[in-house]
Amino acid sequence: MELNINGRASAIPAAWQDETLLWVLREPLGLVGTRFGCGLGQCGACTVLLDGEPVRSCLLPARAAVGRAVTTVEGLAQPDGVLHRVQQAWLDEAVAQCGYCQSGQMMATVALLRRNPRPDVAQVDAALAGHLCRCGTQQRIRRAVQRAAGATP
Amino acid sequence: MKRRTLLGGAGLTVLLAGCGALPVIPKRPLPEAGDAQGWIRYADGRYTLWLPRAEMGQHVDTALLRIAGAELDVPAESITLQLPATDQIAPVRATVGSESIALFALPLAQACATLREAVAAGRTEGELMAEPRPATRLRAFRPGALAAGSAVAHPAGQALVRGQPLFTADVRRPGALFGRVLRSPASPDLPSRLVAADEAAARAVPGFVALVRDPLLTHGQAEGLGLVARTPGALDRIEAALAPRWAVSGDFDADAVLETLDVDRALEEDALPHAVVDARIDEPAGPWDVDLRVHIAAAPHAAIEPRCAVAEFDADGRLRVWTGTQDAFYVRAVLARRLGRDAEAITVHGQRMGGAFGGRTLCTVELEAAVLARAVSAPVKLQWTRAAEMQQGFHRPPSSHRLRARVVGGRLQTWWHAFVSSPILFTNAALPAWLHPVTRFTGDAGVARGADMPYRVPHKRTEYALRRLPLYTGPWRGLGAGPNALAVESAVDECAHHAGADPLAFRLAQVTDPRLARVLQRAAEAAGWHDTRPRGRHLGLACGIYKLNSYAAVVAEVMAVQGRWRVIRLVCAHDCGPVVHADGVRAQCEGNLVWGLGMVFGGALPLAGGGVAASGFDEVPMPRLPEVPAMHVVLIDEGDAGTAVGGAGETAIVAAAGAIANALRAASGVRLTRFPLAADDPAASSRA
Repeated sequence: MELNINGRASAIPAAWQDETLLWVLREPLGLVGTRFGCGLGQCGACTVLLDGEPVRSCLLPARAAVGRAVTTVEGLAQPDGVLHRVQQAWLDEAVAQCGYCQSGQMMATVALLRRNPRPDVAQVDAALAGHLCRCGTQQRIRRAVQRAAGATP
Repeated sequence: MKRRTLLGGAGLTVLLAGCGALPVIPKRPLPEAGDAQGWIRYADGRYTLWLPRAEMGQHVDTALLRIAGAELDVPAESITLQLPATDQIAPVRATVGSESIALFALPLAQACATLREAVAAGRTEGELMAEPRPATRLRAFRPGALAAGSAVAHPAGQALVRGQPLFTADVRRPGALFGRVLRSPASPDLPSRLVAADEAAARAVPGFVALVRDPLLTHGQAEGLGLVARTPGALDRIEAALAPRWAVSGDFDADAVLETLDVDRALEEDALPHAVVDARIDEPAGPWDVDLRVHIAAAPHAAIEPRCAVAEFDADGRLRVWTGTQDAFYVRAVLARRLGRDAEAITVHGQRMGGAFGGRTLCTVELEAAVLARAVSAPVKLQWTRAAEMQQGFHRPPSSHRLRARVVGGRLQTWWHAFVSSPILFTNAALPAWLHPVTRFTGDAGVARGADMPYRVPHKRTEYALRRLPLYTGPWRGLGAGPNALAVESAVDECAHHAGADPLAFRLAQVTDPRLARVLQRAAEAAGWHDTRPRGRHLGLACGIYKLNSYAAVVAEVMAVQGRWRVIRLVCAHDCGPVVHADGVRAQCEGNLVWGLGMVFGGALPLAGGGVAASGFDEVPMPRLPEVPAMHVVLIDEGDAGTAVGGAGETAIVAAAGAIANALRAASGVRLTRFPLAADDPAASSRA
């Protein structure tokens, strides 16, 4: 079994083929930027893109991703290390406190901006409403999304 | 410079001898210059800061790097940051109570000054004794020393946005297996044991490694059954195949908890043994001018990262544990005691935490991982499920308050605040029931925190009782200060309404501390308290002092949106004395504002069937992006002479919920008395 992750084909060891995409990413592949928050699809910390659409990898069997393009937070920056504009906006707005939920927040933002390059505040709120942050970074998340969209926050 | 030799753990002696009969947060010596010597080191032309604090998103790493950079006279960015293990620095106190800058900045700067001078004198090897010198002789505390480079990059920022390993579960050890401890979903304070499980079915699940029975897996009074598997998903399948059944003794629900804490019953029985302000008050001949009963429900920490530990025994028998904890040395001491090992043979690697908020102050998951690793002779990674976080963890205790006041001539004349709550520092999650009577003599400073109201009142009495609940309760952001200040500021606001006074003027006329008056004025100014507002918009105000050294005032603005009151703006003025990392303080204020929003509009911890009736986030909603209003933070750091460094991690929680409750009172005319607000509470609806 092979998965296409961040543009590369990755072989999945036999013992891991019945796992969720989240565990396959984190353990055998070592892509630990996608994080476990609840295992219930309620918090969004494990969000990755599947063919460009945000999905909760804690609920998705790895098998369901076969033949599809998986993008994780590790796949956002360019190969030379230059950050994606969403990552850069997250740094510029100093969004993170603990940072645990932020990979999921950024992945949802990348998907939103592909769909809607100039979202208004209500559209940002709606797109990220399912992404919990307990530290209280919501105001900075809003600003970072606007900054990534090219608007002056 | 060679690594400082480990001190003998003298600060832990008391803890080891006293076993569980001590408060959860053990006393450890205040850090001094000598301790700090191990925190800052120099080798090959570079300085390294071994962070003596746990990082949980409060950016203490950035703040201490700024102190070190200013004192060493190098850019903060040029200093390498290391999270030390317990064998790499001398024991330090738990990272709690917003005290890191107040307690650690000075000794760190002292050590940096000594090191700077030694390096300048050409020394590059050996061990130095840091010289305790006053702040006036340190560069880091000169006016303006920290102003430059205010936009210093957060050291973990790049790693966070790139998704690099930072948290405990990101630690991957060769040959690691995955563990879980199954327990009854009931409260661990109720005795429970396993009565049936389909072991054969469990063993047949692919990936099964072992079932582990060990008395050390008992958590409180809840028997635990250990599972080890080759993959995390197999743990779920094994648990399902096992279909464990538990026998639980005892039961409780939300009503039983309400009854236990009933403040009016405690008053009738004259059973409030702990006085915060112990003055006699005379009951008025007629009714009180304000007489409020306030109930505040239990609340979870709900950090997004469930606690996790990775345990591994080295070939030479050393136990290594990676864990996100607020107190790595306490974890080491508990592991040593419970496992019957020498603390010197255990290394705890403190990891960055995905939120902590007081919830990572005990040793739980670390012992579970160690017991399972020992049983299967392999490294074990064990992360609690979200259900375990809710059901096995401890929570902010609920509290029941009665506040009575007389207002004469527009001034508070008599104040009487009685309340009942469950222990926080003497948490039942660490202190067995038979030791609870010790609190009769000690009280619980955590429960009492923030209860002394900051206004001039001729006759004032504040007293409380502790009732040990069968629900695990313990430290939560601000300890008792959040709930106590919410109750106090609700009643003070009601007094202002009773007097027909402007709530700001009413407070300003009676606050006893000029710094409190200043945050009130600044918040009111920034929020346009006296400005004309569009119809349908209402303001509320609250303020408070945290730990006698930090001040906050918050103004909340609400308006009706689709028939419900919605908070549309929060303005906070904050004074924690000299500010080391302004953006970090702002972030902490914002966090506390959102927590205050959750205290009013979030979910109550559901209690039923002898435990927490929640297994996910959905049952206890926290504020989501659409509900979080615009927030504006005003930092006050005027360089006042002699102002001590305070703290920022919890301060604004004393005013945030109160301001919102008071804005809802202004908007609806209804005083909120049960928190968080139930959907059917009349104060929630704007269609009166």
